Amino acid sequence: MKQIVNISRRSFLLRSAVVGGGLLLEVTLPKSSVAEAEQASAQAETSPEVTAWVLIRPDDTIIIRVARVEMGQGSFTGLPMLVAEELGCDWSKVRAEYASTSEHLRRNRIFQTMLTGGSRSIRDSQEYLRTAGAAARLMLTTAAARRWGVPGTECVAENSLITHTPTQRQVSFGVVAAEAATLDIPENPPLKDPADWTLLGQPAQRFDIPDKVTGKTAFAIDTRLPGMVYAAIAQCPVFGGSLKSADAKKIADMRGVVKLVPLEDAVVVVARESWWNAQQALRALPIEWDFGEHSQVSSDSILEFLREGIQLEKAPVSRQQGDIDSAFSSAATTIEADYYAPYLEHATMEPQNCTVLYTDQRVEVWAPAQNSEATAAVTAETADVPVSRVEVHKVHLGGGFGRRGMHIEFVRQAVRVAKTMPGTPVQLIWSREEDIQHGRYRPVALVRMRAALDAAGEPTAWTVRQAEQSIFSEVRPHLIRDGVDIVGVRTFADAPYAFPNMHMEYAMRNTHVPPGPWRAVAHTHNPFFRESFIDELAHAAGQDPYQFRRTLLQTPQASKDLAILDAVAEAAGWDSPLPEGVHRGIAVQDSYGSYTAAVIEAAVNGEGELTIHRVVIGIDCGSVANPDSVRAQLEGSVVYGLTAALYGEITIKEGRVEQSNFHDYRMMRIAEMPTVEVILKPTGGFWGGAGEPGMAPLAPALCNAIFAATGKRIRSLPLKNHDVRPA
Amino acid sequence: MMYARPSRLSRRHVLVGLLGSLGGLLVPLRKARSAGALPEKLVPLIREATGGVTPQVGRVTLTLPTLAESGHSVRLRVRVESPMTPQAYVKRIHIFSEKNPRPVIARFSLGPRAGRAEVHTRIRLAGTQQVVAVAIMNDGTAWMARAEVVVTAAACVEGS
Repeated sequence: MKQIVNISRRSFLLRSAVVGGGLLLEVTLPKSSVAEAEQASAQAETSPEVTAWVLIRPDDTIIIRVARVEMGQGSFTGLPMLVAEELGCDWSKVRAEYASTSEHLRRNRIFQTMLTGGSRSIRDSQEYLRTAGAAARLMLTTAAARRWGVPGTECVAENSLITHTPTQRQVSFGVVAAEAATLDIPENPPLKDPADWTLLGQPAQRFDIPDKVTGKTAFAIDTRLPGMVYAAIAQCPVFGGSLKSADAKKIADMRGVVKLVPLEDAVVVVARESWWNAQQALRALPIEWDFGEHSQVSSDSILEFLREGIQLEKAPVSRQQGDIDSAFSSAATTIEADYYAPYLEHATMEPQNCTVLYTDQRVEVWAPAQNSEATAAVTAETADVPVSRVEVHKVHLGGGFGRRGMHIEFVRQAVRVAKTMPGTPVQLIWSREEDIQHGRYRPVALVRMRAALDAAGEPTAWTVRQAEQSIFSEVRPHLIRDGVDIVGVRTFADAPYAFPNMHMEYAMRNTHVPPGPWRAVAHTHNPFFRESFIDELAHAAGQDPYQFRRTLLQTPQASKDLAILDAVAEAAGWDSPLPEGVHRGIAVQDSYGSYTAAVIEAAVNGEGELTIHRVVIGIDCGSVANPDSVRAQLEGSVVYGLTAALYGEITIKEGRVEQSNFHDYRMMRIAEMPTVEVILKPTGGFWGGAGEPGMAPLAPALCNAIFAATGKRIRSLPLKNHDVRPA
Repeated sequence: MMYARPSRLSRRHVLVGLLGSLGGLLVPLRKARSAGALPEKLVPLIREATGGVTPQVGRVTLTLPTLAESGHSVRLRVRVESPMTPQAYVKRIHIFSEKNPRPVIARFSLGPRAGRAEVHTRIRLAGTQQVVAVAIMNDGTAWMARAEVVVTAAACVEGS
C-alpha cells in the first residue's frame, strides 16, 4: 500500500530546533487514497450518512462536510455552522471535513458547487446548507419517534438530544443516526426564523486556526510522497513568448537532476531529494527564449495605450441617463480629473504549486486551487483521461485572493510533467520570482471623470470614461456585452449616487499582460477613482465630504449605502475633534451583495511622511454566520487593501514584469498597521459577501484623509510614488 | 496592434468560437441532469439542418468532457460511422448547443475525399448544458448523438 508522508514544514523546523542534535521528525502518516477509501468505507459503517452533508457516529460526533475550500476566509467553520444551526446539534461535537471531489462527481454533483470565490461561499450555499441541516434533524426525530412509537410532531431536537416532549424521554443523535439514514430525505423542511438562531450570528472559534498556529496544517506545498521528485519551472519572461531551446547537457551532472521537460512557453527541471536541487539546476540551465512580439512593451507604452482609450471620440456606453450636454453648458463649476491604478499581483503566501501522481489507473492531484472541480477537469483534460479516473485531494490554501480560481496553469504544467514519469509523484513549485512575474494581474486602468455643479453647489452631471483592460474578454466572453465588460464597469454603472444626468463609457484596452481577478476585482480600483472624485466634488462645492455623500444617497435604492455610511461616521466620531495634524477621510461602496464604508485617520508630517492612525470600517452583509470570521475578513482587507494603496505596483519593462519578490513588491509591515475597528451592522433579510467588500473603501478613504491633511489630491496609486508616502 | 494578447487558438478554433457563444446568458449551476429529452428549442433548428428528416439516434459518436473547467475552450470530437466512399459518405455535421446565445455552434461540410468522417475542435459553452451533434448522410438520412457537459463556475465573478 502506498503511503503519503506529510511532514509539516513548521513542525519540522520547530522540532529540529528543540531537539538540537538528534533530529526528531514529527511525522503524520496520512492517507494514501487507498487508505482513505478504506477509512471511508469503515467510517460509513460506523458513521451513518444521514444526508450527504451530515454523518453522525454512535458516540455523537457529528461530521459536517464542506464543499468549498478554506483559504483563510473562515468558511471551513462558517459553512458547518449553517448546517448545525438547523440540525440542532451540540456544536462542540461537530467536526468539519472536506467533501470529496470524486464522490461529488460520482454522486451527480451532490455538493452543488465546489468553487470558492466571489465572496460566495456562505451567501450562495446558506439556503441549501440550512435545508440540509433541517432535513437531517427531521430524519433524526422521525427515527426516534418510530423507535418510541409516538408521533414525530411530539419530538424535538436540541443539543444533539431528541426529546419526546410529553414523556420527556430522550435519545441522542448517535443512537438513532443509523435508522435515520435509511429514511427518505424530506425536500422542503421548514427553516428556523433567524430570530431563533442560537449558533448563527454568534462568534465561533474556527476549526482551521489551531493547526495553523501549531504548524500542523499541511498545505499542498507540504505534500510528501514516497519516491517523490521535485520540479522547478522557468516560464518565458515576456508574456506570449515561447521556449526556443534549453541545453540539458549542461545540467546533466548536477545534483539530483532527473530530467528536463520542455513546454511551449516554459522549461521544467525535475530533480530528486529536494526542490532546491531542481531550482539550482534550473538556474544553471542555459535557456533561449523567443520573446515574441511584445518585448518592447513598457509601463509607459501601456499608459500611452490607455490614454488613447481616454481620447477616443466614442466608446461603448455603460450607463446613460438624462442630458449631459445641457447640464454641463449650464454648470457653474466643472471638475475634471484623470485617475490611474497599476497592475497588482496576488502574492499568495503559498506560491503556486501542484503535486501529481500519474499511473495507468488514475491521476492523483494535490493543488492549492479555489475550485477542486476545475482542478479535476483540467487534470482530466491534460492527462487525457476520463474525469472518473482523477482524484483531487483537498487541502487548505495558503491564500487565494482570486489567483487560483480561473487560472490554474500550474496544475496543467504539473500534470504534463507527471505524465512523462508514470508511477513517480512529481511536485512542481514555482519560485516566488516565478509567482510574482507570471501572475494574473489586477488590470491597469485609467479613468477620466467630469462633473458639473450648479451655482448652489448641487451636483448635476457626471461622466466617466474608463480605459481599462478587461479580465473577462478572454476567459468569460459572455460577460462582455456590446463592448462593455460588465464586471469592469461596476462601481460606476451601478453607482447609487443620484446625479440627475450621467453618461459613462468603457474603452477596452487589452494588453499582453495577463489579467485576472484580484481580491474584489473591479471593486479595488474603481472605488478609489469614484470615491476620491466624489471627495473632489464635495470640496469644490464647499461641503463636508460625509454630508455631500449623504445628500446624494437619499434614494430608496441607496438606503443601505447611506445606513452603513452613517454607522461608520458615527462610530468614527466624524464630527469630533482630532489630535493636531491628524485628518479624516471617508468612503462608501457596495459590492458582492454587501455594503461597506470606512473612515481613516491619518497624518502627514513636514517631510511628507504618512502615518495611518486608525481605520474604522463597517459592513452590512445582511446576515452573518460567524461574526468573528467577518471581522477577520475586514481586518485582513485592511492589511491587503492598504498594502496595495501604499506599495502595490507591478511595472512592465521590455515586455516583462520588473518586480520579483517581497523586497520590491512589498507588503505593509506590522509597525505601519493602524488601529482597526470593525463595525458589523447586519440588517437581515439578505446574505452578502464578506471576503472582498472590505477592500473597496480603503484606498479612497486613505487618499481623502491625505487630501484633508495636505490639500494634495492623490490621483494615482501606489502612494510610494508620491510626495506623500509611507513613513 | 502590439497589444493584442497572443492567441494560442488555431484558426479553426477562432472561427468555431465566433460561431459559438459571444454574448449573454449566464447559466446557474444545477445538478447535472441525466440526458433527458432533446431541448425543445433545438428541434426546429435540427429540422432545418436535416431538411425535415428526423434524425435517428446512432452512428454518431460525440465526445465531450463530462466536466469542463470553463466554457471558453471545450474539446469536442465527432466521429460518424461511414465508409466515406463516393457511394456512402457524410455530407454535413452540425453541432447544436442547448444554452449558448447562438445555438448553432458549428457546421462542417464533408465529402468522400475527406477520408474519415471525424472532426475535432474546441467550442465555447455558456454553462452546463446538452450538446447535440447531427450527421447528414448522402442518402438523406440523419443521425444524432447527444452529450451533457458540466461547466464548473468561475471564482470571483459570475453575477456578483
